[in-house]
Amino acid sequence: MAELTLTAKVAIAVLLVAAGGAKLADLEGFAGTVRLFWSASFAVGARAIAAMIACTEIAVGTASLSSPLAGWVNYAVLGLCCAFVVVSAVGYFGYPGRACRCFGALTGRSFDGASVARAGLLAIAAAAAALLPVSPSLLRLGTLGRLGLVAGAALIAWCAFTAAAAIGAGRDARSMPAAPRGWTQ
Amino acid sequence: MTALAIGFVVIATVLIAAALLALLRVAHLVLSGADALERDGLARGERAPSWSLTDTDGTAHASPPVRPIQLLVFADHSLKSFPSVLAGLRALLGDSDLEIVILTRGPAEPASLALAQLGLAEVPVLSGSPRLYANYNVRVMPFVIFVDSAGLVRGSSLVNHDWQLVKLRQVAAIPPGDDQYPAAAVAATASAASAG
Repeated sequence: MAELTLTAKVAIAVLLVAAGGAKLADLEGFAGTVRLFWSASFAVGARAIAAMIACTEIAVGTASLSSPLAGWVNYAVLGLCCAFVVVSAVGYFGYPGRACRCFGALTGRSFDGASVARAGLLAIAAAAAALLPVSPSLLRLGTLGRLGLVAGAALIAWCAFTAAAAIGAGRDARSMPAAPRGWTQ
Repeated sequence: MTALAIGFVVIATVLIAAALLALLRVAHLVLSGADALERDGLARGERAPSWSLTDTDGTAHASPPVRPIQLLVFADHSLKSFPSVLAGLRALLGDSDLEIVILTRGPAEPASLALAQLGLAEVPVLSGSPRLYANYNVRVMPFVIFVDSAGLVRGSSLVNHDWQLVKLRQVAAIPPGDDQYPAAAVAATASAASAG
């Protein structure tokens, strides 16, 4: 059981770090999604909120990966996953078909039933990791191991950022309307 | 470390590696698709790279150009497979405001001989490099980019037909600041990949 719990914990952490890195590379796109849920009248702008969410995902994912003994991280991950469920559900009912930008420019997925189901599965896995704790004495990592995991998390974030930036770069560079297929003749 | 701690590190390592591979795969798939090719090149109004290169005859050529407009053709001897593009380039040779240069990805000599036989002996062929191609965000050939004397991109597209060159030349005549012409602006950025 402990192995399953830890696998779920690692999988969620990796997903969070990758999603955060990809969102950072496409802040404007993700800010568009934030604007669906965030009033323009608020003091903090949607872009700042988007950056905060992306950084939180990376920080929590890295902490979860490198500090498996820290119980509070499990609850932070669970909180994030529950928030994803709420956002997915509200997006599904309020803005069906709109791009969610959960992974920045890496995917074109939109708010739909599948996204709610995926978020629900993540929340269940996060709940398992939080509520079925592993004995601390069995999971004591050395400094080297923790540093290695932090480096791994950083590598994922960088790779996701680079990939999303490369994919999104052309879209950003060309602010003109999309060219119609068939050119003009 | 206990067996469980070692297992945690192993699982984490495997999943991190899987995530990295997945990211690389996704990026590769997306960037090699037709949609991505439509975004190759440089956007109209963007500053083009500056360089100075000598052609196979030893004559120096530079970008931004001395003439009002420079047509950079990213191609090599494989241009012979695009007779319509060759015809379009030959038709543009008479344009006195236009300087046409062919930039190869590697050494220019092989392409220079082949292109001379195809009726483009007047067009200087310059030895480019993969890095220079990357600076122009060009991956596939034949690709053309129009640059004005101020070093700004006037038009950019993959081309398969002579009429595309004609359209791009018309758009290139309009300064980037005067983009009050949606159809032309769209044409300037449209990729011929979608037409091919």
